[in-house]
Amino acid sequence: MRSTSKVKLIPLGIIIFLFLFAMLFPFLWIFITSFKTSGEIFGAGAFRVIPENPTIGNYTTVLFEKGILRAIFNSFIVATVTTIYVIIVATFCSYAISRFHFRGKAVLLGLVLAVSMFPQMIITGPIYNMFYKLDWLNSYFVVLPYSTITLPMAVWILVTHFNQIPLALEESATIDGASRIQTLTKIVFPLAAPGVFTTAIITFIAAWNEFLLTITLNSNSTYHTVPVAISFLRTQFSILWGEVAAATTIVTIPTLIIVLIFQKQIVSGLTSGGVKE
Amino acid sequence: MKQKLGFTGWLYIIPTLLLIGIFSLWPVFQSITYSLFDFKLNEQQKAGLFINERFNTSLFNETILYTEMFLEEDMTNISAVEDQQKVETFLHEINSIATPFSELQEVIKISSDEREQIELLHQNGTALIGHLNKTYTLTHAETLPLIMEDINNSIIPANFSGLEGYGNVFSDKRIFISFINTLIFTVVSVGLELLLGLFLALILNKAIFGQGFVRTTSLIPWAIPTAVAALMWGYLYDGSSGIVAHFFEALGLVEQSQNLLLSASGAMVSTILADVWKTTPYMALLLLAGLQNIPASLYEAASIDGASKVKSFFTITLPLLKTSILVALLFRTLDAFRVFDLIYVLTGGGPGGATETMSIYAYKLMFGQTDFGYGSVVVMVMFVCVAIIAIIFVRLLGTNLLDRN
Repeated sequence: MRSTSKVKLIPLGIIIFLFLFAMLFPFLWIFITSFKTSGEIFGAGAFRVIPENPTIGNYTTVLFEKGILRAIFNSFIVATVTTIYVIIVATFCSYAISRFHFRGKAVLLGLVLAVSMFPQMIITGPIYNMFYKLDWLNSYFVVLPYSTITLPMAVWILVTHFNQIPLALEESATIDGASRIQTLTKIVFPLAAPGVFTTAIITFIAAWNEFLLTITLNSNSTYHTVPVAISFLRTQFSILWGEVAAATTIVTIPTLIIVLIFQKQIVSGLTSGGVKE
Repeated sequence: MKQKLGFTGWLYIIPTLLLIGIFSLWPVFQSITYSLFDFKLNEQQKAGLFINERFNTSLFNETILYTEMFLEEDMTNISAVEDQQKVETFLHEINSIATPFSELQEVIKISSDEREQIELLHQNGTALIGHLNKTYTLTHAETLPLIMEDINNSIIPANFSGLEGYGNVFSDKRIFISFINTLIFTVVSVGLELLLGLFLALILNKAIFGQGFVRTTSLIPWAIPTAVAALMWGYLYDGSSGIVAHFFEALGLVEQSQNLLLSASGAMVSTILADVWKTTPYMALLLLAGLQNIPASLYEAASIDGASKVKSFFTITLPLLKTSILVALLFRTLDAFRVFDLIYVLTGGGPGGATETMSIYAYKLMFGQTDFGYGSVVVMVMFVCVAIIAIIFVRLLGTNLLDRN
């Protein structure tokens, strides 16, 4: 038996508290700033913990004038579409990798792994020219090259999940006379559902956070996603930190909700696949 | 028994192969191709990949139009019948060569015969104009020679430069600096993340309470978009209103808070710190999962045998955690090496290129200066570095990474 005495718990507690403080402080400070007036942020009140004249002006400006709602809408469309098609495609591929023998399987897995290691910059130039020729710049077609970031990761996590489902279940279903489609829909998919769901959430977050492809392919602000729209708040002539803080607070909310609801799935997805960001 | 993959089996795989083929592999080969050309989108003569010479018909037609017009106007200044005939012959020659192209406007391929004809036309024209200019006073004495040059300019030279771009790498200081910056950023940030992450994972593994809460909290910095985190830190580091910059000044780490993002070392440290903030919790989670897979009985046996805690850390924990650490390190190293969003939003590569990584440099070349040729060369250098890093880690991991089948 290992026992931890109460005296030892105190330094542990302090370290954990410091860690939590470091993680949460930036959010907390941004939240406070979002209610401050410009005068307070740039004046003597910059480091005051409680705003002197609390205002929601920053929020109304960002929401109604700076197009943050539009960006959230775009991010939602782009991330949802990416998640749906990538998960469908990756589920079938992973199932085949996990269940069948075929030549070149090691090559396929190696390829998937290699693509997930590419520097993204390598595809950006050619994809830009391709989109230019197809007249796809400034459109939602940007979800297609998103597959470079999300598909290898999804296949990688899903193969792990399928490998954990015992083959014997499918074999007995086949012996009992179930067709291939029946086996898939009645046995495999229900069992794989939790894993697929986990992968979907990770894919959604990755697509939501994508930056480079959107900023190069969709220069028109009508198609800006959250990360890109946020980055443009910075490159304006003057940086209005109050608005930046309000925008940051708003766009953190969707992520926060996803993390709070699906934390178990996210942790299991991250640890089982050994995935990257 | 696993089955063989039949026709329907291939249907499962084909969509993945198509997507990876079109949006990942084809662009890679395309980038390799770009790197062999002097490919600049904003220069008309270089805005494509031209292995062979091409012919700009619209420029040629325009030139011909002016040549004919000006020469006919100048006919009155030419007195000798012999010279008038020469001009007539030349105009006739122009006409016969230009007619096949007269309806065209785009850039086309031409045969070597046609090319020789056009070059001959240029030579004859230059000689004729030279002769006329010596003998007579022409109205268009200055413009005509220039127009003759445009006949030659309609032939677009090939912009295939082969390995020249790669040769330029060695004389380009900026790529060297960006490589060093990338290396510093990667080694320091990943190193700190590993140490802090391991430390946190060990503590969390011991903690009886609060694990769930800490886990949830740790996910938030990882889950928010990097661009958002970068902007948030941009505010915290801000010279006049940034609380972290202010705090550093109070600690005496920087002389003046205004200098934090304006000095080379300050900007680099700030960027690294923001990255450590964002990814240490993620690292800790990965390592915590690894730690929880180590059976407690091993530690009990070790303590019965009289091993100290430190000794059991080095003989049990580290060896059994090796795979988790290497996998986490592999992905973090690659991510750090291609860092883009964080630096693009936080410092933009500044001040004066002090935080310019290879991704940022390549991006500026391609989308700032539209120099896709040399930009792709920089990307290829990055690609080789990434491949080397990956190979080293995969070797260290042995078969662990691909043994899931």
